Amino acid sequence: MAEVQLVDVEKRYGSFLAVPKQSLTIEEGEFLVLLGPSGCGKTTTMRMIAGLEDITAGDLMIAGERANDKPPKDRDIAMVFQNYGLYPHMTVAENIGYPLKLRGMDRKTREARVQETAEKVELQALLKRRPSELSGGQRQRVALARAIVRTPKIFLMDEPLSNLDAKLRVTMRAELKHLHHELGVTTVYVTHDQMEAMTLASRVAIMREGRIVQLDTPKKIYSEPADLFVAGFIGSPSMNLVEGRITGGRFEAPGVSLPVAGADRGDVVLGIRPEDLQLTDPGAAPISGKLYALELTGDSTLVTLRNGRTSVCTRGPADFEAPIDAPCTLAPKPGARIHLFDKQTGQRLDA
Amino acid sequence: MQDRSLSYLLLVPAFLIVLATTLYPLAYSLVTAFREWDLTKQRRPGDFVGVDNFGYAFSEPGFQNSLWVTSVFVITSVILTLVIAMSLALLLRRKGRMHTFTRVILILPFAISPALIGVSYRFMFNPEFGVIAKGLGAVFPALDGVPWLASPDLAMAILVLTDVWHWAPYMTFMCLGGLASVPRETEEAARIDGASNLRIIFGIVLPQMKGVLLVVAVLKTIFALKMFDQVVTLTGGGPGTSTETLAFFIFNVGFKWYDMGYASALAWILTAIMMLISVWYVRMLLSERKMATA
Ligand SMILES: Nc1ncnc2c1ncn2[C@@H]1O[C@H](COP(=O)(O)OP(=O)(O)O)[C@@H](O)[C@H]1O
Ligand SMILES: [Mg+2]
Repeated sequence: MAEVQLVDVEKRYGSFLAVPKQSLTIEEGEFLVLLGPSGCGKTTTMRMIAGLEDITAGDLMIAGERANDKPPKDRDIAMVFQNYGLYPHMTVAENIGYPLKLRGMDRKTREARVQETAEKVELQALLKRRPSELSGGQRQRVALARAIVRTPKIFLMDEPLSNLDAKLRVTMRAELKHLHHELGVTTVYVTHDQMEAMTLASRVAIMREGRIVQLDTPKKIYSEPADLFVAGFIGSPSMNLVEGRITGGRFEAPGVSLPVAGADRGDVVLGIRPEDLQLTDPGAAPISGKLYALELTGDSTLVTLRNGRTSVCTRGPADFEAPIDAPCTLAPKPGARIHLFDKQTGQRLDA
Repeated sequence: MQDRSLSYLLLVPAFLIVLATTLYPLAYSLVTAFREWDLTKQRRPGDFVGVDNFGYAFSEPGFQNSLWVTSVFVITSVILTLVIAMSLALLLRRKGRMHTFTRVILILPFAISPALIGVSYRFMFNPEFGVIAKGLGAVFPALDGVPWLASPDLAMAILVLTDVWHWAPYMTFMCLGGLASVPRETEEAARIDGASNLRIIFGIVLPQMKGVLLVVAVLKTIFALKMFDQVVTLTGGGPGTSTETLAFFIFNVGFKWYDMGYASALAWILTAIMMLISVWYVRMLLSERKMATA
């Protein structure tokens, strides 16, 4: 277990700036998720921590020691790769035992440790097989077992679940969470899946174009997104964002008139999550428009209404029925959270 | 249906040419291998002598010598080519500024005709004016005036050298292709697991290249077994018979001693050796496949 610190770390590939100068502290025992769209620099950041990529500028500190020039094997890390990186010519047992073998552990102790680790991830029955004889989920487990077999200081995982089908992903997610609880090892986890990030993380670092735009607990990121990018990225269906202006203590946009806290100004984006809205009787409803689409998801129906350039979505009851283009009205639920952002900078406007 | 018969009809000339140029001589040489045929006495193949020609081979020192020479040549040139090709491939793997340039340079030795390679190396190793012989003599005075091609061991070494020089670049490309299919992640995983560079190469990369290395080894073995051109132009089989490879010996038997029956039998022995290697190779490859996809 150890704390990891990135101090003004920067990464360039030739003249291309992949990760601009930034700092980040990953606390001891924490499960930190790097979340962002594809190409935003998550993998690059993780590979710099691993030592697989040179750091162009800045310092990387692991457990208080500068690690920039330490080779990967001296950083006491373990990594799970997106495509697992299993050794195809070795059996499952040999794969799991390889890090121990390289550290000169004798055969007997090694076999006992492999056995023990295999039990943890339920691989006992597959120890003699080769990776090519395993399913995606099983390969995933082998990669995981190889990482935890020698209890390193830090775990690095680069989209470890992205090659699994949706159902398996949910199961493995729970296993990962449990494993982290059990081992308590500092973990850096890369994903582009916000659901994975929210469920797994102690803290989430949301990245965009190489920059960390918000670093906070999942709860805080959900309830107080720092800017429009985060607001739109987190949550499913994503937050409703409506462009308008504030006049006389009310937010006004086509079909929308809501009381808000804030000084009068134009160029404002109002954000409200679908789950903070409800269908309401016509009358003095703050949000009104014509029904644009109904999508049944099973336990509920996604209702989208439009009015001019305003488009707002909410969850209605599963048996909700109405003809398209019918008039439709919404109101915030009691206690609903309303977010305001500057349209130009995208930054959150705090009341 | 008519289209079909027409297409067969159109294939007939090509088929006949193949028949006339390959199958016929092959069959003819097989038949000849069982007959007595001394070109100095008979214009046509003579009597059938059973397996006498084959039997003779195993009691005749010229054949046994050529078998020994060929074995030495094949083993050394295959191992050296493989080691050098694989090492070069590992070095050239990283894409750098010299990337294209080095690859162009590399293909040159393979583009030169083996007979020409023999001639030019013969000049370069000439103790009087050869550039290599003189160069070596200038750097290491002890090597000045060494009669390179007049010593049996050195002549063999130079023969191997020219062959490795000719083939290593081509095999490097094959190895580069194989390397490209080794996932980077396996190496990075090993690096993080704590493996040294050498360990990564021998423990992770090479085992994954088994299939490619097998192809390279078998191809190179077959080409080495047929070694002929440089023997003719570089050493002439000498000094003595020290570099008389099987192919060269067969040529001598047929076209110097004019013993066509014996030469045909020897040619079929060489063919049988190559067939055995091919069969072994296909078996290895199939089991490798099974392992990789099971
Ligand atoms: N080896 C490399 N050479 C040049 N550019 C690279 C290299 N690796 C990554 N990049 C670039 O750096 C950026 C970040 O990549 P990456 O960290 O892989 O993104 P992510 O993992 O978030 O999808 C991308 O624009 C990518 O094209
Ligand atoms: Mg990535």
